[in-house]
Amino acid sequence: MLHIERLKTDIEALSRLAVERQTLREDDVARALRWLAEAPEPATLRERLAPVTSGDHDWPGALPAADAPLAARFTVDGDPPHGTVVIGVDGSQVYPDPHAAVLYYLIQIGGLAFSYDGSRPRPYSCEALHFKDEEVYDAQGYPISNERVGMERLVQEMAYLAELTTIEHSLAPAAPLLALTDGPLLWPYVERSRSDSQAIEAYLDALTEIRQAGGLLVGYVARPGGRALVELLWAAQLAPEDVPGRLAENPLRRLTDAALMAHFLAPGERSAWFTRPSATNHRHAGRGHAVWFCYVNVGAVRAPVIARVEAPEWGAQNADVITTLHAVLLHQSQVLNGYPYVLARAHEEALVTTADKAALDGEIQRHLFAQGILVRPSEKAQQKAILGKR
Amino acid sequence: MADTDSVITIGNVLRADIRGFVVASRIPEPDVPTFGTFVRAAIQQQRADLIGLVYNITLQDDPFLKNLAVTVIEDDPRYAEIIRDQQENRAVPVEIAVAAIGYRDEDGYHYGLPPQPPMILHRITVCSKDEVRHITAAPDFMRALFDNRDVPADELIPTALQRAARLRPEALRAEFFLDAGRYLAQYLGRDPVRLERILRRLM
Repeated sequence: MLHIERLKTDIEALSRLAVERQTLREDDVARALRWLAEAPEPATLRERLAPVTSGDHDWPGALPAADAPLAARFTVDGDPPHGTVVIGVDGSQVYPDPHAAVLYYLIQIGGLAFSYDGSRPRPYSCEALHFKDEEVYDAQGYPISNERVGMERLVQEMAYLAELTTIEHSLAPAAPLLALTDGPLLWPYVERSRSDSQAIEAYLDALTEIRQAGGLLVGYVARPGGRALVELLWAAQLAPEDVPGRLAENPLRRLTDAALMAHFLAPGERSAWFTRPSATNHRHAGRGHAVWFCYVNVGAVRAPVIARVEAPEWGAQNADVITTLHAVLLHQSQVLNGYPYVLARAHEEALVTTADKAALDGEIQRHLFAQGILVRPSEKAQQKAILGKR
Repeated sequence: MADTDSVITIGNVLRADIRGFVVASRIPEPDVPTFGTFVRAAIQQQRADLIGLVYNITLQDDPFLKNLAVTVIEDDPRYAEIIRDQQENRAVPVEIAVAAIGYRDEDGYHYGLPPQPPMILHRITVCSKDEVRHITAAPDFMRALFDNRDVPADELIPTALQRAARLRPEALRAEFFLDAGRYLAQYLGRDPVRLERILRRLM
């Protein structure tokens, strides 16, 4: 039981701090907007930052990806072109629980294909139960980590998106085809083992498959937390001789790109394209999938909603397809208060609820019991289940 | 001969007592069972099946739909695909209340309350035509409904009788209704107003 009354002083302090941060952030935003307006040409910036963009450096900033000025803003008129197909995919999982009656994990992927032609959208889903020893135990004999399950889910999500892209392309070969996934496109895990390397290779294979199937791959990041653009703006303020020496001295440490973009982009506008010179992105580039990103305001006046949109370089350079993507994101997000409809529905198709999990556990236990095997959760898990019902 | 009609699983038991149970379900709108549908649920470690009738269907609160309701306009072509998705694809979160009318075990069909309610999260399935014909072979299937005060029996009984009659050859339907009428007259002899109300709904 939580004694909220004992936290009263802390809650008051938290509120005061939030007000202070708000004031500081307004100052920071004003400064960053000035830096954005004053920023040199993209080519100048790329040249200035060359010492830290080879992939060996861990500078967390972004680079301008194309020739548009940093302060460029793009708009789009009208609805998505008739016939455009948008696929959204998302996944969910049941993590392996050493206290459960049986050790397993489950991954479920959901998707929705949405054609702008008045037809009924097509829901998809698939699920896989993993229970073999080599699936649920690591090389040391311990139950596999949640991170490993997350990695597996990401690979399966992208493979499923590739499969749906192939299916949908065969249904409408001439239609613009957008393949959306919820989250960033850059592989987010550290490579520690051979199986980690296999996972990233499988992920990059799926990206290739999507490209070959004629889809534009898009990663949609809602409420992004990064500050790569703010770091770039600071770098743009430095004299060439101060790079890389003063890169770490950025005074706008609390400002995120999203907070800046909320003041910069009007509803419906998107920013210029940027890219990250990180080692992971160099690895993506090695397979032809360097990731670019931009920001888009899918909100309304006085209620900005900033999303980071990521696409592989090969797609981001296609102006016509990007215009279609822009129109689609605005339409999809307007329907659902700032989040694309296809991704919301994909999430719904993928979701494994507490009731679903309880039903699955019950089914497994019944089958085992029919085979003469009696299994039950640990005493700790049983006690937690009782308390959890309160 | 057993018929080959498709059997639809409609959800899992959410709460139950000996007189009936409530099912939580997320199924597309066309599959949502209607008032008076015969359903079954496993009881007694799957050694028997409770048979019941759907007597209430409640649409649960749906935050997803709430969000859409403020932006989507029905006749605007910009939302045509979304409306079709919501109406034709999307699982509707519903609670379905079922009243027990009997059960089936290895000895056959029995009328009245079952020995045990179904356990939580057991699956509920719509009865096949063959199962409906069997459970309604004798009018005693109505007995448990008369004593269940939670159930709108005066509406439910005529609906169930008409459903069961449609599964019989036309030549046998009059006899089926006559049997049911005699049973009702015997059971409700002291309440002619109620008897008349039920019989009128059968006409």
